[in-house]
Amino acid sequence: MTIRLPGRRSPESTTDAAETVASRLRALDRVVELGEGRLDDALLASARELSQRAGERLRLSGTHTVVALAGATGSGKSSLFNALAGAHVSQPGVRRPTTGVAHAVVWDADGAGPLLDWLEIPRRHALEPQDDLRGLVLLDLPDHDSTEMAHRLEVDRLIALVDVLVWVLDPQKYADAAIHDRYLRPLARHGDVMVVVLNQVDRLASADVPDAVSDVRRLLAADGLPDVPVLPVSATAGTGLDRLRDVLTGAVAAHRAALRRIAADLDNVSADLADVVGGPARDDVDDKAQRALVAALGAAAGIPAVGAAVQRAAVHRAVAITGFPFTRWLRRLRPDPLRRLHLDRARTTAITAGAGADDADLVPTSQRTSLPATGAVERSRVELALRRLGDDAAVGLPDPWPDALRDAARSRAGDLADSLDRAVAATDLGLSRKPLWWRAFGLLQMLLAATAIAGALWLAGLYALTVLRLPEPEPPQIGIVPLPTVLLIGGLLAGVVLALLARALAVLGARRRRARAEARLRESVADVAENLVLSPVRAELAAYSALREAVAALHR
Amino acid sequence: MTTGRSPEPVLPAVDDAPTPPAGLPVPTPAPEPPAPSPGGALADALVALREATAVIRFELDIPGAQGARESGAELVKQLDDYVLPRLRRLDAPLLTVVGGSTGAGKSTVVNSLVREQVTPSGVLRPTTRSPVLVCHPDDLRWFSDTRVLPELTRTSGVGTDHHTLQLVTSASLDAGLAFVDAPDIDSVVAANRRLATQLLAAADLWLFVTTAARYADAVPWDVLQTAQERGTALAMLLDRVPPGAEDDIAAHLGEMLTAHGLAEAPLFVISETTLHDGLLPDAVVGPLRDWFSDLARDSAHRADVVRRTLDGALDSLRPRTAGLAAQARAQIDAAARLRADAHEAYVGASAEVDEGMRDGSLLRGEVLARWQEFVGTGELLRTLQDRVGRLRDRLTAAITGRPPPGSELTAALESGVALLVDAAAERAAERAATSWRTSAAGTALLRSTDARLDRSSPNVRDAIERTVRDWQGAVLDLVRREGASRRTSARIAAYGVNATGLIVMIAVFASTAFIPTGAEIGVAGGTTVLSQKVLEALFGDQAVRRLADEARADLRQRVDALLADEEARFTALLAAHATDLRDAEALERAAAAVEGAR
Repeated sequence: MTIRLPGRRSPESTTDAAETVASRLRALDRVVELGEGRLDDALLASARELSQRAGERLRLSGTHTVVALAGATGSGKSSLFNALAGAHVSQPGVRRPTTGVAHAVVWDADGAGPLLDWLEIPRRHALEPQDDLRGLVLLDLPDHDSTEMAHRLEVDRLIALVDVLVWVLDPQKYADAAIHDRYLRPLARHGDVMVVVLNQVDRLASADVPDAVSDVRRLLAADGLPDVPVLPVSATAGTGLDRLRDVLTGAVAAHRAALRRIAADLDNVSADLADVVGGPARDDVDDKAQRALVAALGAAAGIPAVGAAVQRAAVHRAVAITGFPFTRWLRRLRPDPLRRLHLDRARTTAITAGAGADDADLVPTSQRTSLPATGAVERSRVELALRRLGDDAAVGLPDPWPDALRDAARSRAGDLADSLDRAVAATDLGLSRKPLWWRAFGLLQMLLAATAIAGALWLAGLYALTVLRLPEPEPPQIGIVPLPTVLLIGGLLAGVVLALLARALAVLGARRRRARAEARLRESVADVAENLVLSPVRAELAAYSALREAVAALHR
Repeated sequence: MTTGRSPEPVLPAVDDAPTPPAGLPVPTPAPEPPAPSPGGALADALVALREATAVIRFELDIPGAQGARESGAELVKQLDDYVLPRLRRLDAPLLTVVGGSTGAGKSTVVNSLVREQVTPSGVLRPTTRSPVLVCHPDDLRWFSDTRVLPELTRTSGVGTDHHTLQLVTSASLDAGLAFVDAPDIDSVVAANRRLATQLLAAADLWLFVTTAARYADAVPWDVLQTAQERGTALAMLLDRVPPGAEDDIAAHLGEMLTAHGLAEAPLFVISETTLHDGLLPDAVVGPLRDWFSDLARDSAHRADVVRRTLDGALDSLRPRTAGLAAQARAQIDAAARLRADAHEAYVGASAEVDEGMRDGSLLRGEVLARWQEFVGTGELLRTLQDRVGRLRDRLTAAITGRPPPGSELTAALESGVALLVDAAAERAAERAATSWRTSAAGTALLRSTDARLDRSSPNVRDAIERTVRDWQGAVLDLVRREGASRRTSARIAAYGVNATGLIVMIAVFASTAFIPTGAEIGVAGGTTVLSQKVLEALFGDQAVRRLADEARADLRQRVDALLADEEARFTALLAAHATDLRDAEALERAAAAVEGAR
């Protein structure tokens, strides 16, 4: 009967297995790359360590399989090692602990040098290549349970590197916590590359051997390793060695132990990573949160204040053009509300630069509005909106992500005030265009003023003639009122009425203009929100999704 | 010291001598209430120490906490299992606990010593799960009650779990000696390891069994280290030595014992040998049995062993309780630091809210716009001036659905303050959680609860809005009371409560830096000259100033209470896990009392 290493008896060939492991390793690299600065350092360190170790192992000899004999002090590792090697290589002893450094025997030393250098095994013995064990590198590890701490560290180091682990137990020590708790249970996913040997069965009564073996199986099952073969062996009496040799032959012949080992390590890392990714992230930031953010930013950018100024400025300018000509110079003495906020200047700059209204880039960066500084309330509102946005984006995501998303939402909060101010300064408020009716009304006002002035001059001429006692021509009459009087009074009255009408129209128009200006401002603010808040949040969400995919690919 | 040899010791009337196992409490005639407890003052002090150690908690995850938890539990068990019973009855039989690794042959040694199969031995590991106590039939009464190892249920049959102690008598054993076959100290069964530690702590003498394959294992030496530290009497048994290697291994083990300060311990060596009926041949086990027989016969030597181990255990109390007390203090300090971190964060929040209220920035933006509307449209004056005006406003509001005057301003103020407090509370929660996360203890605490403490509590916004509305109501009440009292100025008396209340609320946020005086309002709001005059007078009014001060203090108090509720989430979590200072002090007092009583 041939006992093989257990493991998935998938029909895939070695190349397929290699391809699978390679693609999983690529996923691991992606995880490391994306997890940088996002995931827990310890978690990332183990992923990075595996990535490096797997890369190194796969670059080294693929024709060699590294098998390690590991076990407690006094379990007979060295005797077993010698028995397998068929030579007295390692020195067993009665004083404990014995072996302090790992030894290696190599069947077919060709090309194994770099591999052993990588394993940092200085004590090597080359054996004649035998057909069935060609490519086997057998290591005798120090014990893991003695008072010598250095031994344990060496074991831990090598256990992480080798392809196949042969755990050597003995009837006295097979239930020790030192081996089960520290090694076997944490390596529960490595059942594919593990064999357990119950050594020194010669010390048991032969009737007890099956009981002991099944008790070892019971303990292994409790460790999560139900399928690992358990071989009763006596290194000194030579029983069971053939079966162990068969197992090793199988492992060496398949040339797949290294891949399986890495696959098991990948299983471990991917199980550790399972907690940091959860369900799918939402596609986009919550609409409501976005709107709340834009509203908060709008308030912080002073949109209501600018809107009010636009409204007043629209009336102001309309009246300056369409107002009663004899009093409207007074208007000019009052400052333009927009100019007070330094908003008008921005427009002119943009226009003189020959740029479109949307070309905010062309506005000099030094352009500043004179809007009042943002108050604590507006700042609080923005802050809360950013928090909520981050929290909403992270709904349902596991732990590092809520904080990461909130930090992403706030990552450029420091630039917000500045960018908002610039965005407001660069927004076309739509006041440069003077409506046609303003001109028409202005022209009409001029006409009426001219009429009134003509009437006044006429009357003044008549008055002068009267003073100079010259005969005065009778002015034409309209009804009983003389024409010059009609011109004067009529012109003035019509001017006042027209001014009032124009003002009413201007007030109506100003409201429309305010609404338009505020809509444009909101667009500008939304752009700022997009650049400084939503993009970082989306980037973080994308990172999450990518990491999630990578972890899924790793899991396969 | 009394002799412990006689099975029927003639002793002064010591009353809590063993009572029958399942018997009813023996009715004690006329018990003197403060019964002089056996063992005297030292025993009383030790009971107090036991109680103090049992209640104290070390739940914060700081360096040494895990060790202190274990050490505390171990101390309580050792006092219960060993120190107190032994102190009360120095004459009780000497209890030898046979301990060691799994597979070392402990059970075989015990069976061989008594020459019969009293405890199962076998090849399956771990063999012994339930401890077995073997003693002379005359000594049974010492062990059948709960005098020693009170937690373990006595049974005469085979024990099956870790909570039973199987009692076996054997006439071949000398009286005055008892053996416990303990579970192993190092197998995969964690309960075995715990029970073995407990049993070893209850022993007068350890017979520590190791083997040729095992004697360099790390775990047994850790256990032996404890024996050395506690001054426990120890005998070593090196079992299963391959024939021929005895001298070499015994020499090496001797070196190791000396290196660990255990050179005094007698070392017995038993070679790997075939068992007869599961027992070691007499020739092999002879020296060991002789040694124990000598011990059983020589009562002075036995008393000496008992005394030595007891003294060792008592001596070990001082460093152990000192360690516990130090850890308790460290726990208290760590909790205080965490509490201070959380408090600092919320004090900061309170200061931020205060700053936001004082610097007048709350009156910019929305509130200012509503204020200008309110003043600019003449609503204010109308509200102030006449009752007819108010009636008309109310009517207009009812018919047109327009909100009554000032309500928009009230709403703007409310949402302004709410935003300010909300953001400050969020920042504080985050700051507090961040500073907690810098320590392992804080991180573990935050993980221990499902609630996300790094965010404000979920309904905080509602609570804030309710608080602000309550405050606004309180301001109106304040103004109303003021109007009813005599102190008030004529001006306030003349104006309505609602209008004055609004003025006061505005003044609360304006009093220092920014006062919406006539000039400000005039430019921005286009107010009439009349209302400017009114405003200047209003905000200059002494009564309004005083009311504003009161209202601000009230608001601060309410906000602080709300923030305190938020902070309480941290402090409550901490309180649930922190060490009580009184417990720590009780422990220190009890430890000092023990020292004093010795």
